[in-house]
Amino acid sequence: MVAGVGKGLTSVCIVAAGLVALIGSERAASRQTNADRVVVTYWEKWTGDEMKAMKQVVDSFNASQNRIEIKYLSISGIAEKTLLATSGGNPPDLAGLWSDQVVQFADAKALFPLDDMAHEAGLGEKDYISSYWKEMTYHGHLYAFPTSPGTSALYVNKSLMPPEFDSPEKFPKTLSGFERFIAKVSKRAPDGSLQCAAFLPRDGFGSGSWPYMFGASFVDANGPSVNSADNLKAWSWVHSFALRFGVRETQAFRSGFGNYSSPQNPFLSGKLASMMDGPWFGNYIRLYNPKIDWFAVPLPYPDGRPDLEGYTVLNLNTLMIPKGAKHPKEAFEFIKYVQRQDVMERLCTSQYCNTPLAKVSEGFLRNHPNKFIRLFDRLARSPRAVGPVKLGIWSQISQEVGNAVDVMDLGQATPQAALDHAESRLAEQWANYRKQVLNQ
Amino acid sequence: MSKRRRHLFRQALIQATLIILSVFFMLPLVWMVVTALKPIDETMTSPPVWFPSKLLWHNFTEAFAYNSKDLGYIPFLVYGKNTLFVTILAVIGSVVSNSLVAYSFARIRWRGRELLFGITLATMMVPGPVLMVPMYALFRDFGWIGTFRPLWVPTFFGSAFNIFLLRQFLRTIPMELSEAATLDGASEWRTFIDVIVPLARPALVVIAVFTFLWAWNDFMGPLLYLTDQQTFTLSMGLQFFQSQHTGTPWNLLMAASLIVVAPVIIVFFFAQKTFIQGIATTGMKG
Amino acid sequence: MNARHNQRMGILFAMPWILGFTVFLAYPLISSFYYSFTNFSILSSPRWIGGSNYSELMGDQVFHQSLKNTLLFAAASVPLATVFAILLALLLNSKTKGMAFYRTIFYIPSLVPMVALGVLWLWVFNGQYGLLNEGLRHIGLPPPPWLTEPAWAKWTLVIISVWGTGNAMVIYLAGLQDVPQSLYEAADIDGAKAWGKTRHVTIPMISPVILFNVIMGIIGSLQTFALPYVMFPGGQPARSTYFFSMYLYDTAFQYQRMGYASAMGWVMFAITLSLTLLALKLSSKHVHYEGG
Repeated sequence: MVAGVGKGLTSVCIVAAGLVALIGSERAASRQTNADRVVVTYWEKWTGDEMKAMKQVVDSFNASQNRIEIKYLSISGIAEKTLLATSGGNPPDLAGLWSDQVVQFADAKALFPLDDMAHEAGLGEKDYISSYWKEMTYHGHLYAFPTSPGTSALYVNKSLMPPEFDSPEKFPKTLSGFERFIAKVSKRAPDGSLQCAAFLPRDGFGSGSWPYMFGASFVDANGPSVNSADNLKAWSWVHSFALRFGVRETQAFRSGFGNYSSPQNPFLSGKLASMMDGPWFGNYIRLYNPKIDWFAVPLPYPDGRPDLEGYTVLNLNTLMIPKGAKHPKEAFEFIKYVQRQDVMERLCTSQYCNTPLAKVSEGFLRNHPNKFIRLFDRLARSPRAVGPVKLGIWSQISQEVGNAVDVMDLGQATPQAALDHAESRLAEQWANYRKQVLNQ
Repeated sequence: MSKRRRHLFRQALIQATLIILSVFFMLPLVWMVVTALKPIDETMTSPPVWFPSKLLWHNFTEAFAYNSKDLGYIPFLVYGKNTLFVTILAVIGSVVSNSLVAYSFARIRWRGRELLFGITLATMMVPGPVLMVPMYALFRDFGWIGTFRPLWVPTFFGSAFNIFLLRQFLRTIPMELSEAATLDGASEWRTFIDVIVPLARPALVVIAVFTFLWAWNDFMGPLLYLTDQQTFTLSMGLQFFQSQHTGTPWNLLMAASLIVVAPVIIVFFFAQKTFIQGIATTGMKG
Repeated sequence: MNARHNQRMGILFAMPWILGFTVFLAYPLISSFYYSFTNFSILSSPRWIGGSNYSELMGDQVFHQSLKNTLLFAAASVPLATVFAILLALLLNSKTKGMAFYRTIFYIPSLVPMVALGVLWLWVFNGQYGLLNEGLRHIGLPPPPWLTEPAWAKWTLVIISVWGTGNAMVIYLAGLQDVPQSLYEAADIDGAKAWGKTRHVTIPMISPVILFNVIMGIIGSLQTFALPYVMFPGGQPARSTYFFSMYLYDTAFQYQRMGYASAMGWVMFAITLSLTLLALKLSSKHVHYEGG
């Protein structure tokens, strides 16, 4: 028995040694590509159907010429991995990051400016919807090109609407009208619990950007500014939902949210009459509850402020070339290919998005799987379309403000006190960022 | 007679407790199985649907359908092979290296031992994220990015957790056994192989099982160091079901998770028997 | 001669780890310690700023809050999980039918992949429709808002961590197998009852294993990351589940302040080390070692 174990261990060691010897071949096996083609590595966050859509673009590009081969790689945690690989000196040639990352990466000088190559290719401001163009640039330089974008609008469950609100034309356009809608459509059960909420402002795409709807913003000339009078108005409005439905009640209702992309989503299960989201939400409806009869409308604007009409929050997926990429020229060839109107529209159709391009074909709008795509496209072109704040601490700003609203909703502090607290933390963080990253 | 009845009563009590607890521990698995067989619009509903309107066995094939033309989610055979490769090497490396090192820490007196052991323990207390950047740089300098090596080579050099665990076990074995072997003229190596390793079998199996689990489920390692779709592992494949715009196919995700988890459950089922026979094989002690 | 021989053998047997430590760990550890005195955004190279990261930490309220959350979580989950795991192991060590089956079942929570587990728990603890509250309503208890009230959210995580204690349970199980049968026989002769045998034979004999699990529990609970990260993004509600390692991770990779994050990491190291030393000191009288 005892000797047996000894022998067993010895044979295990021999097997181990054998396997280790095998490793030598492991690397060679995974590297078989056409020797005469430049291989461009492309990291993208998409998987599943979204990956399929982009893979088709990649395949057609690879087939369209014989010089460059794009190697598509699905990466979860793409921002972290790109950060590490870039700092380690071997980044991918193309990174499919969000436009949110343009500022942080550019501030760290980790992106390849694309101005010259874009100029050479004849791509410029005129080709893009201007609010998306703004997201691609920073301090006068171009750092990213778009893939699929998005805008936010209000999805409305028609079957829960009384006749006075049951079409896009009749749905209220101003905040006071919206308040009437909330009062009318929200329902309580006999025991007092919330049965149907007309609207809840803290869920769905764009739920962190309310100050813009009231004409405020998160920044002023000196950096982050989150406690101005207009900011307070905006977040007090958000907080009012917790007050009017009851703090505990809204929470019980919101904890019913569980998962956004599931049949349990309260809009999809008929517990929430309207919800703010991007064009892709049309696909969630198709997937999880196609029986819902819905329409989409723009978000309301404050009474007496028609200049604020057309407010929407932008989303933008992009292609960037990290500093240290081995084949920036070849990578740009692919970027250029994706910017072709037919290619872009095909990609955006299969990803349920609108287009970032200034030119849009009638076929795209007519055949798009989201029946309200014209609204999302129109909103993207609105002067009131807003993207991420162009400060390197944008993710801190959204975290601090989100936490401040949590604090008000839980009744731990007044809206003013909660925002003041966020403001003071952000002031510190901005000072730090300026000192440490921008060397100011 | 009354002793027999007491015994029966005890047995009944133990069984009842085990069955009640099992219900709670089975929950995730049952839920995964049910979800894996549902149509998508019955997943994640409230109140929950426990009995799907129809059983969709093809969810399993769909989750793993994969060809270069019409991409499915996970190429199971390729990823499975990669995962198995890394896991087997890691288990071998871990059992061999950790038993040697723990033997040194637990049963040989030498100068510097306590200091090195203290440092070993301390390495576990530094949070992982702050080591990620230099680790990446290190493996890059070795030219290992894009290979499986960062995932298994380090296991051949011991790990703090396993060393500590084995050391605690080896210290419970009476020192007289080693002394007796030495008096019989056995070398340190023979004492280790012939006396200690057989006695430490339950603990070695624990190490093997833990390493197997860790390597099989490791997500961060493959995520950081692999750069080719053909070298990905199953745990990375599971992330492929979550999407940005097109919704999560929960039923397929659960089907895939079940297939990935199944080998682990089987391995554990057979390995746990070793915990039972511990006394039987080490009867010589005490 | 004997001491020299032992010295040589000791180092020889420990060689894999000595090498592994030097090659794979020493450099990353030293680097991160150096980073903690720098301003380092991962993408740009580190710049020495002395102790400013540490002095900034002193005044960082989120740091204090996340530290408090983490320590509270550890204080609740380590003792509960320890007791629970020992009880489970004792139960699974009894001689009865179907043990292979039960052992596997009890270990399942540790086997299920995180993506599936996080979703499952959100659904079980859902305040309105969750399985747990449905059950509580049935037996006439008030359904708590598990996910949305700061105090309850922490308990949710404690319950899950206790439930997922499979690894510790397995280690105890292996430890129980090492208790010599002869000791129980001796106790039988002395007329000891089941509880007495557990208290005076089993527990002392597996005390080294208990110590191991407690120390690993301290280290593990102070670094808890994946589950709250999946279940409570951003530590909501109101940062009540924002744990130390989440703040560290966000600081490093979202805010790109690796220098500051490294300082946090080393503060965590110091705290973990003191708690571990405390545990070692408190245990020294109670842990029973056979060998040297």
